[in-house]
Amino acid sequence: MSDERSTDVDALGLGLGPLRLEDLVDREAMRGMVGSIEQVFGMPVRIVSNSGVSLASSSREAPLCAMINEEPAGRRACGAIVSEVKRLRVTSSEGTTHGCFTGARYRVVPIEYEGGTIGRAILGPYLPPSVDTVPDTLLAIEGVDPARAAELLPHMARATEATAEIVSKHLVAVLDVILWSGHKALLTSKMHIASIRESYRELSEKNAALEQAYERQQELDKLKSNFLATISHELRTPLTSILGYSEMLVGGIAGELTGPQLDFVQIIHSKSDQLLKLIMSLLDLSKLESGTVMMRRSDVAIGAVLAEAASTVAPVATKKGVTLTVDAPGDLPLVLGDPERLRQVFVNLGENAIKFTPPGGTVQIVARQMATEADAGGDEPGMVLLAPLRQMIEVRVADTGIGIPEAERDKVFDPFYQVDQSSTREHGGTGLGLSIVKRLVEAHHGTVHIEGNEPTGAVFVVRLPASRPSAPPSKAAISVRFA
Amino acid sequence: MQLDFASREISIKLVYYGPALSGKTTNLVALHGRAGADARGRLMTLETQDDRTLFFDLLPLTFRSKDGDVSLRIKLFTVPGQPIHAATRRLVLQGADGVALIADSRVSETQRNADAFLDLRQNLRDNGIEISKMPLVIQFNKRDLPDIRSDEELARLAARGKEPVFRAVATRGIGVVETFVCLLWLTWRSLDQSHQLSRKLSIDGDDLVSTAAQQLGVTTPFRELIAARMGGRAAGAAPGGAP
Repeated sequence: MSDERSTDVDALGLGLGPLRLEDLVDREAMRGMVGSIEQVFGMPVRIVSNSGVSLASSSREAPLCAMINEEPAGRRACGAIVSEVKRLRVTSSEGTTHGCFTGARYRVVPIEYEGGTIGRAILGPYLPPSVDTVPDTLLAIEGVDPARAAELLPHMARATEATAEIVSKHLVAVLDVILWSGHKALLTSKMHIASIRESYRELSEKNAALEQAYERQQELDKLKSNFLATISHELRTPLTSILGYSEMLVGGIAGELTGPQLDFVQIIHSKSDQLLKLIMSLLDLSKLESGTVMMRRSDVAIGAVLAEAASTVAPVATKKGVTLTVDAPGDLPLVLGDPERLRQVFVNLGENAIKFTPPGGTVQIVARQMATEADAGGDEPGMVLLAPLRQMIEVRVADTGIGIPEAERDKVFDPFYQVDQSSTREHGGTGLGLSIVKRLVEAHHGTVHIEGNEPTGAVFVVRLPASRPSAPPSKAAISVRFA
Repeated sequence: MQLDFASREISIKLVYYGPALSGKTTNLVALHGRAGADARGRLMTLETQDDRTLFFDLLPLTFRSKDGDVSLRIKLFTVPGQPIHAATRRLVLQGADGVALIADSRVSETQRNADAFLDLRQNLRDNGIEISKMPLVIQFNKRDLPDIRSDEELARLAARGKEPVFRAVATRGIGVVETFVCLLWLTWRSLDQSHQLSRKLSIDGDDLVSTAAQQLGVTTPFRELIAARMGGRAAGAAPGGAP
């Protein structure tokens, strides 16, 4: 445990150190209490802490005392009495009395708390009823005028010992309540602060640890992307040679090949080509992840992009017996983006849809314009001003294939994820196509999600923000069908 | 622990730890009720909400040795049991000389009891203290409720552990004094070993603890009281023979 913390405990009063009267009471409130006691009982009161600090005292001085304090000798004598009273040894909790040369008396009671004495209350000076003439001890003080003393003596507070005792008991009882409340308030407030400080310390430590972990994580992420990029590049170089030479072999540049030889070399070539595609995808993905992919920004007419993408995948669809259609209205707004990357998005989605659609099925690619307030419910303030800025273009790629279970719909965008993970799965593929789609769409500030198609199949919904609010020049609507 | 040679006063701090609503405050209330007017201070409860302690309870007890020569001032604290008050617990635990872990006997509370203990261990560790060095007594409270862990089970488990285990119904004051006296005895012994209190103050620890027990209204010798525990090899190896 640090030293700093152990001093905290003492400051808290949670430790075992002695309590101080000064810490438990509010001086201003104490003065108020002393004043009211004096008002009710006509007796001056003074509260002194163990260390001798006077915490509250009656403001009114008896006229006799004032007269005595006018003379140097009187002031000295009075000061001596006061310090005697302050230092008086009080052993019993009942208190004790101490006389003054004026004939007045002081009653001193200890202020006890938690079994210890933490201060004292001093009552007086008050005159016992027995004193009715100016005592000799007062006349002995140099400079005291006997006539004036006799005149002022009756103005001093008078009380019997019994009264003084009752008042002192009352005072101590009141003080006890005040001390108790004060102690409680002191502990509560210190505990509050200490708890907050402790929680803060703990949170700061955890935050620092989290931040460190986060930084480390980011570093690792970067390393991973770099590694992928490097590896993909290094793999591609020899693969290009394999492809090139196998192509030359097939082309007969190194002499005519026999039937089986040609078959084998063609297998080498097609598998190498497959491998190259996988590596290219990996490279794309890692570039997208590391944020180093180059994106051109220009106004893109999405209808044209869709038609182009469809024509790319149409041969596969035709071969498989799947009908492929593209529909886009002519007044679609433009999208700010990279046409080549957007084409890749829809080629990947199209390939994916065709792959999972059985022969005789349909893959429909439909584009339409939409506004985001449809999602927000339309009751947002300022909608009329904001809506034009939030034009979106939605492209739905719907298939009639096996569909994707609800629980899997988010996961299919993870790299290498396959819904059917069995080793005997029917459909090939790297599992990278969709994660590339997602990253490319997100790079265009768009979103992609999956919905179910009726009665079977899946719909991949891509939403892209329109590039500008104004309507684009009207173009012819696109409607293509490949079958 | 604080030792005042001049006034021959020893101040120690004991902390009642445990899961929320296990009866820590009830233990203090019961002790407060048992203690004679001379011994007990006021029970202070700081900030409560729905019967739950937010900061802590504090019960000062003062015991004087037989000849009145030495005073033993004890500050009993409880900690807030709810997990959210971790920082407060750690603060209250600072400078503790002994700890009583008040567990809830119900089977359903088993996990929370264990969590409270692990929390205690971690907080002590954060304060730089190994729990094995801390005088510790375990109390299984609420023995009057249904679905509690059986006596046999507790006895069997207690026999394997080091700490003395007491059964209690704090709401009726049962087992409360035993737990306290045993904790006081263990704490005294540990402080005596590290600070040679008996030698420095020339007092007898047994006397002091038995005076304390008497001032809590107990007539049976305190060693018999301590013997009501289950397990607790640590309390057995007392100087001056086993109870």
